[in-house]
Amino acid sequence: MANEADAQKTLVDARGSSCPGPITDLAMAYRRAKKGDVIELWGTDPGMPPDVKAWAEKTHNEVVSIETQADKIVAVVRILNR
Amino acid sequence: MERVLIVGAGAGGTMLANALDPRRFEVTVIGASADHLFQPGLLYVAFRGASARRLARPERQLLRRSVRFVQEAVTRIDLNRHSLTTAAQQQFDYDTVVIATGVVTDRAQIPGLAAWGERIGDYHSTVAEAQKLWRALAAFRGGTIALGQSTPLIKCPPSPIEGILLTDALLRRRGRRAQSKLVFLTPYPRAYPAEAMNAILEPVLRARGIEIRTVFDVDQVDAASGAIRSLEGDTLACDLPILIPPFAGAAITYEPAGVVDNDRLLKTDKTTLRVQGVEHAFALGDATNLPTSKAGVGAHLEAKVIARQLNGEAAAFSGRTHCPVDLADGRGTFVIGSYAAAVVPCRPTRMRHWMKMAMARIYWISLRGWLEPMFDWYFARTAPEKLAGGATARP
Ligand SMILES: Cc1cc2nc3c(=O)[nH]c(=O)nc-3n(C[C@H](O)[C@H](O)[C@H](O)COP(=O)(O)OP(=O)(O)OC[C@H]3O[C@@H](n4cnc5c(N)ncnc54)[C@H](O)[C@@H]3O)c2cc1C
Repeated sequence: MANEADAQKTLVDARGSSCPGPITDLAMAYRRAKKGDVIELWGTDPGMPPDVKAWAEKTHNEVVSIETQADKIVAVVRILNR
Repeated sequence: MERVLIVGAGAGGTMLANALDPRRFEVTVIGASADHLFQPGLLYVAFRGASARRLARPERQLLRRSVRFVQEAVTRIDLNRHSLTTAAQQQFDYDTVVIATGVVTDRAQIPGLAAWGERIGDYHSTVAEAQKLWRALAAFRGGTIALGQSTPLIKCPPSPIEGILLTDALLRRRGRRAQSKLVFLTPYPRAYPAEAMNAILEPVLRARGIEIRTVFDVDQVDAASGAIRSLEGDTLACDLPILIPPFAGAAITYEPAGVVDNDRLLKTDKTTLRVQGVEHAFALGDATNLPTSKAGVGAHLEAKVIARQLNGEAAAFSGRTHCPVDLADGRGTFVIGSYAAAVVPCRPTRMRHWMKMAMARIYWISLRGWLEPMFDWYFARTAPEKLAGGATARP
């Protein structure tokens, strides 16, 4: 059973990655995550927001937020399906 | 003289060793293997039954005579004390170390994959494994073939698409395509991760009747039936699961241990290529955690950036990629991008396929550095920033 206290927050820095792109780093972090964990993904690839949404929908995980900042895009994803 | 120790005698390590001025540097290369393998050739061994005779050459012959080559596996690198140890307990000291040890396939990460690899091989490990895959494909009489990467981290990101297109072409030549279903698996939301190239490649897969399963992260393979289960809970029944195994960095113990990540990749500065947190250490090629494709082109350009820095010049790696894609119909294309420029669309042509094939021939002399003026001209002409400006990639 997922225990909130065990849940981890991981920061994944994929800035500069356009090929294969930030989804590579998100999916690698997902493989290591457990239910309840939160992954914060940083990227600069303009394709990142739609990709993170499509990825989360298909993997049944939750996009907590996606924000485009001056120097990077920050997506926060909560893992529900592991 | 400054002692430069290069660990790993692959594409990047060899190019760097040959690029350093022998009057200024005492260069030693330590490589685990006596032979140097041209890895892109594994594709044609596995899917065309090509001969492997010309794919390997003795490393000693590829290095300048002034470079010392030691055939040994390195087991431990103490980045604080500037010294390393080999499996035979030899010790080497250095002024500067460059780690270019690449990655190795690791089937054990996926339950059931070791059993299938034993039976059908793969095209990212060794010549023997690629030949095993060729035999499995040659014996295939019909049914479902699923092909894809088992984890998001692989080398040569276009190689899964090349694998499925070459499988399709093989089955057509053999008159077995009608009896076969081909499924392409990918952990990405589309067939090729970079959208600009997906728009070109996905229609090619569809036109050849290949089914595409996106966002499929392989969890395990049934050792008996070959059925593949995903982390998302889907199951795909298939007769031949051709999965590119997960990868990890070389089995080397580092001091300090924190210089490598979970996949044993060196935490490397994106532009200076220095190993983070220590001095007098660089890393290049597949062995790094750089946010760019693991490909020979990157190793090549990174070797140049390190050589210039060792010469005391300012140099920065741009994250440039230039990965060839074989569409298995006589045409080829390239995936071209950099840290600053998103991947640009590149139309498949016969000329580009010819260029990929030509690389197999010029690879050995390119390791010597003799073709640098040509490469400099070509990479400048095909810079993604230039191509993105509306001009179509030429030639
Ligand atoms: C099927 C396939 C197709 C590909 N196609 C292309 C392509 O078309 N274009 C392209 O650019 N790239 C392609 N690549 C990728 C390319 O081959 C690699 O990215 C490139 O070889 C990386 O160079 P490297 O120097 O970083 O590592 P490698 O060339 O892998 O060299 C690493 C070296 O380190 C040595 N080593 C490892 N551990 C140790 C140790 N502990 N001690 C001492 N030595 C050690 C190894 O023996 C090896 O010689 C392809 C790869 C594959 C598998």
